[in-house]
Amino acid sequence: MASVFENTNWMLAPILVPLAAATVAFLLMGIRGEARRNAQNAVGLAAALGVALSALALWAMVSGGGPVRYELGGWEAPLGINLYADGLSVFMLITTAIVGGAGSVYALGYFSGREGEDARRREDLQDETGSFWPLWMFLWASMNGMFLAADAFNLYITLEILGLSAAALITLGGTRMAFSAGMRYLMVSLLGSLAYLLGVALLYGSFGALDLATLGEAASPIPPVWAALALISLGMALKTGLFPLHFWMPAAYTSAPSAASAILAGLVGKASFYLLLRVWFDVFGGSAPPEYAGQIPGVLGAVAIVWGAVMAMRQTRIKTLLAYSSVSQMGYLFLLFALVSGAAPERSFEAWGGGVYLVLAHACAKAAMFMAAGVVIYSVGHDEIPRLRGIFQKLPISVATFAVGGITMMGLPTSGGFTAKYLLFTASVGTGQWWYGLVVLAGSILAALYLLRFLNPALIQVPTAKVYRDAPQIMSGTAFVLAIFSVFLGLMSAPLFELLSVGAPFPSGTMGGS
Amino acid sequence: MYLLSGVAVFAVCAYALVVHAHLIRKVIAINMMGSGVFVLLTAIARRGDETDPVPHAMVLTGIVVAVSATAFALAVVRKLHEATGHAYLPEEGEDAPPDGGGG
Amino acid sequence: MSFAGLVLDGLLALSLPVLAWRALSARDLYRAVILFITFGVILALAWARLGAPDIALAEAAIGAGITGALLLNTVGGLSRKNDKDDERPDEPTDRVGRPWRTRLAVTVPVTILAGGLAWAVLSFPAPVVDMPSLVGEAVAEGEVSHPVTAVLLDYRSYDTFLEIGVLLLAALCVWSLGLSAVRSTAPEAVSGSPVLAGFVRLLAPAMVVSGVYLLWAGTSQPGGAFQAGAVLGALGVVMVLTGLLVPSLGRGGVVRAGLALGFAVFLLVGVVSMLATGGFLAYPEGFEYGLILAIEFFLTFSIALTLTALFTTVPPREKGGGA
Repeated sequence: MASVFENTNWMLAPILVPLAAATVAFLLMGIRGEARRNAQNAVGLAAALGVALSALALWAMVSGGGPVRYELGGWEAPLGINLYADGLSVFMLITTAIVGGAGSVYALGYFSGREGEDARRREDLQDETGSFWPLWMFLWASMNGMFLAADAFNLYITLEILGLSAAALITLGGTRMAFSAGMRYLMVSLLGSLAYLLGVALLYGSFGALDLATLGEAASPIPPVWAALALISLGMALKTGLFPLHFWMPAAYTSAPSAASAILAGLVGKASFYLLLRVWFDVFGGSAPPEYAGQIPGVLGAVAIVWGAVMAMRQTRIKTLLAYSSVSQMGYLFLLFALVSGAAPERSFEAWGGGVYLVLAHACAKAAMFMAAGVVIYSVGHDEIPRLRGIFQKLPISVATFAVGGITMMGLPTSGGFTAKYLLFTASVGTGQWWYGLVVLAGSILAALYLLRFLNPALIQVPTAKVYRDAPQIMSGTAFVLAIFSVFLGLMSAPLFELLSVGAPFPSGTMGGS
Repeated sequence: MYLLSGVAVFAVCAYALVVHAHLIRKVIAINMMGSGVFVLLTAIARRGDETDPVPHAMVLTGIVVAVSATAFALAVVRKLHEATGHAYLPEEGEDAPPDGGGG
Repeated sequence: MSFAGLVLDGLLALSLPVLAWRALSARDLYRAVILFITFGVILALAWARLGAPDIALAEAAIGAGITGALLLNTVGGLSRKNDKDDERPDEPTDRVGRPWRTRLAVTVPVTILAGGLAWAVLSFPAPVVDMPSLVGEAVAEGEVSHPVTAVLLDYRSYDTFLEIGVLLLAALCVWSLGLSAVRSTAPEAVSGSPVLAGFVRLLAPAMVVSGVYLLWAGTSQPGGAFQAGAVLGALGVVMVLTGLLVPSLGRGGVVRAGLALGFAVFLLVGVVSMLATGGFLAYPEGFEYGLILAIEFFLTFSIALTLTALFTTVPPREKGGGA
């Protein structure tokens, strides 16, 4: 008994390690200058390592023994709060460990900047208040807490931590746009969590429990449950940026410091999506939502794919282009709700798995691209596409990163993007909803178009931009490695899908080695 | 009865949140929306013979979270005001970068 | 329930949304804030009527008191800056850009929302889980007799732990903005007044004693760390307003440590329990009461300090002078 307990205590590590690191980094804010940077960097990296290790340990635990449940405080649910790790949880933990780890390494170089000459669009490369690391650690802890949570109110608290720290990371940008984008994001975030809380209140009012598993068993098709589903879905759609509730995204991703943009675009939007998945299938699954319920996110997702891509083509700043690209890519995720509804149940795991896999693929690729944009801004002082002709010759690695990341956006083999979109495509055909398949294809073509918007002048034309200083190699290097990794995700899918099938809401049946 | 009251508060504030432009009003609206949900929860706690302490714990936690969020939100409003001289969010078009992102 | 009680409840329940409406559509911001504070007071009464004295205490101190002070401070700070322009907090531009078409467009979905919610709320089935009995059983076996405290610090202690994290995070977020001190709405008159300062000096010990009492009593009666922390936080705010405390609250390292203390202690107790009993925050047999009280003690201190820090919004000054 004792040894089993010791093993499951690992579940706390992904949450407690960043929290402890956040506290230490917070206390370190008092030191000045170099010493503070080095100390905080060390703490952050140690935490990243710790989280990565514990994620791997959990992977082994869950793959070997099935989903794991942990009773906090020694109290059984529904009185106490439980933690729960199934395939999806561990998958998300690993996604954040990879992208978060890369982001941490990138941040080492990012905040070493000094005053540049072109101050017009210079980002805050100084982190004068020393708040990046504590904020990022809190953010990471909140996401891990969310992935492992099995209690509805606990999820609310993690949502709030997520929102506050993300908003503060945006305002770190220090510009007017950063403050207003951060404010808007904060309002959106609070509204989303409040909608969620109201949903939880309705569920508690109906069933008297907060434990997800208990709720899932008790769920029945009654008005409060429908209302709760609607509220929670709206709240999470708002926080994930599903069309038309994405309005806060472009400014937020653009004006945040690029290290933060990478994390925001790569991970934060995915966390609220995870919450939606968890609640939709695990809690509301039992109450059999009507068929058309899944079509609403599906249709909106389809619109997002097209609209986001079209808007991306019209942007003149790299970061804003990437932000709209994110709007588009997130649309793909919501397609899965339409594709798992009943018509062909054996396709459900494909659709669900495809959407979830895109989370990892997009997180890696998009984060890498934002990091590359950060390198450009660091070196040249701005990210305006018209003024970056021929930049490939000055910053080859970063442009290459952008291109390689774009492979996932376009869904070309062997990227994770290909695997995911292929699955979504076959699921749409298999369930007779072939129009979604068309949208998937259209999305790829449009992605190629907006990528070329930057790549074409960057690669081909005569350089006009002036590089003021060289970015630390750790920045461009990390971005590039992450991008390359995203391309190989297509080849690594088998073990990850095996992981996903543990505790999945759908039987994984025959899922060949895609 | 309080159940409906909570709902009413929530709805009123939701309306105000969207309609009013001044940021401080929005912050107040969000704060009161939260209170509406708390009223709902406490009313639920009273349904049976015994008062249910779990919603009370939820509301207490919620109040602390609300004051934390409100404090930060107000600080951002102040910072925005310092930087721009007013306390409004830019409308869609103004938020675009100076060289015009919308083409 | 008596008829008088019914009428009182009805009045309270009705006045809440009405107050909310009035506050949000008030002509100027000062009035809006005052109405907000009134809302908070009525809310506290409602909590009392709903049999939630713990929440009533917390709402009065935190919700109406501290949040109200925060709002007044911010509104005051804005209008101070605006003295140069013609803009005042009650400027008509507050509602420009929201023509009646928009208002109508928003009213429709909101009404649907309200209707749907009302219907939902009136159709609750009988609960599946009898939570009050579960809590009752656990409390009967435990050492803490006040159910709410037991839930907060024992059965659902993880949530409380994270919530303290939220408080710490909020202070961190506010400091990351790098704001300078806001002149309180009545600076010279208040901070220069020896009478007021003297009064606060008299008041302080009394408030400290009530805070400690609330903390101590919380294990068996309504009270506990949050209420105590809120009362002491309010004291802190008053002290800042009257100039007895500097806005930066003291030396950098000390203030930071104070803020992080509650969270750190909670974390530590959790980890130690994990080593002792194998479960995070699973208090060892017989140590429940002591550990809970110890955690609450440090929590109270940190909550009070954090609430004051959230009010002043100024990051603590570092050693060796500086910015």
